[in-house]
Amino acid sequence: MGKRSFLYEEQENMKAKIVPFAGWDMPVQYSGIIDEHNTVRSALGLFDVSHMGEVFVTGSDALDFLQSIVPQDVSKLTDSRAVYCQLTNKKGGIIDDLIIYKLKDENYLLIVNASRIDVDVNWITLNSLNYDVKIENASHNYSLLALQGPNASALIEKLGCARDIQPEYFSIQPATIAGIDLMLSRTGYTGEDGFELMVENKYVVQLWKTLLREGKELGIKPIGLGARDTLRLEVALPLWGNDIDEDTTPVEAGLTWSVAKDKKENYNGKDVIMGQIAGTIPLRKKLVGFEMIDKAIPRHEYEVYYEGNKVGVVTSGAPAPSKGSNIGLAHIYLDDNSIFLNKTIGINIDIMVRNKLYKAQIVKKPFVQKKNSVKN
Amino acid sequence: MAYVPEGILCSKSHEWILDEGEVFTIGLTDYAVEQLGDIVFVELPEVGAEFQKDETFATVESVKAASEIYMPAGGKIVEVNEELINSPEKLNEDVWGSWLVKVDCSNWGEDSIGLMEYEDYKESVS
Repeated sequence: MGKRSFLYEEQENMKAKIVPFAGWDMPVQYSGIIDEHNTVRSALGLFDVSHMGEVFVTGSDALDFLQSIVPQDVSKLTDSRAVYCQLTNKKGGIIDDLIIYKLKDENYLLIVNASRIDVDVNWITLNSLNYDVKIENASHNYSLLALQGPNASALIEKLGCARDIQPEYFSIQPATIAGIDLMLSRTGYTGEDGFELMVENKYVVQLWKTLLREGKELGIKPIGLGARDTLRLEVALPLWGNDIDEDTTPVEAGLTWSVAKDKKENYNGKDVIMGQIAGTIPLRKKLVGFEMIDKAIPRHEYEVYYEGNKVGVVTSGAPAPSKGSNIGLAHIYLDDNSIFLNKTIGINIDIMVRNKLYKAQIVKKPFVQKKNSVKN
Repeated sequence: MAYVPEGILCSKSHEWILDEGEVFTIGLTDYAVEQLGDIVFVELPEVGAEFQKDETFATVESVKAASEIYMPAGGKIVEVNEELINSPEKLNEDVWGSWLVKVDCSNWGEDSIGLMEYEDYKESVS
């Protein structure tokens, strides 16, 4: 038996299908993945993402320390602002991807992947020895809900936080929602407008029930991890362990937009990452998005072929309910004379599915346009 | 077909098979379909292909994963349910009406050993 969120009983009562995920027993679906996916795109969905990790970094050296462990420029964050970034190793590989929220000076919150909490905390602690900082893994104290979809802002307003005082995209602020004090951020993993609500465990059942009850007329439904995966894949948000890992740099993963180009401070893997951006260090692979032409569904670890030669591997694949086609992300391995070195969009590839090749084409990412206010 | 077809036998790997005299009809159980969730793709064998008992003869894909489907008894495929190729969701909508293949079973006497009646099968998965 895995770890259980404080909402486990609620979810069981709602007939959620519960599966093991990253050491937790989490709901993979309620009404059905496609229905849940469409609900988030058209109305409103509520996710329990309590398995994710919350780590506080505080102290007089907090900023300098964070600057030394991520490629983003954390010094650019003003109070209550957040940034997407990666925790990189000495070779520039991605230990985890995360969001850093600046609560105030010397006070930062890191939201990290469930499967990586222990690895991250060990790495962060190991790197912090020469800094005056306190690292606190508070994951067990907090539950995290994600409220995502075009009607998210309306529900938050209905529950006591008017639109004009709601946090802006990639911001966080304390808020009282339905009488419960929590941290409200304008972030998510679906490409829709929405919020994440970080709340003390003892209030989460009440919060969950209130959101579902009060959101009824806005079309709210509980959403499982299955739809979370198809939603994030359509907008090409990477999943650690699939599309990014310790052997893939942010540049190789197509995340160069999240690397500060003019940052002075050194950080783990900076020489490799900046070398790859400058073109002095070759990329070993490239993350591409593709859409199936033939009728077949690509899956994690299926092989990718070009003109009969194996050139890569599918990192994520699934039907895209908002597109009506089958899509995927793949690592394409690069060498000196690879056709994939330059522009890849429009190149036809083949995906090996059950020992047969099926046609696909490399297309622009994201597959579905994001509807939140993305700045990159 | 809202009701469980009378006389079906079920395998541990969640297929059902029905002796219809000339041929045997094979499908997926209600439990299997419920566990899979939204079915979005069905791959069926060619008519004329022959398979042993327990051999993979089809693939059914849900949003999340691909699942192999095994022969509850060996034989030659005489007909496939083409409708499922274009409308895989029929399996979710009408599990008992959505058979996969019809088979000429070559060794039914021996192959049927170990198959369960529906009531016993239901108990085994509950």
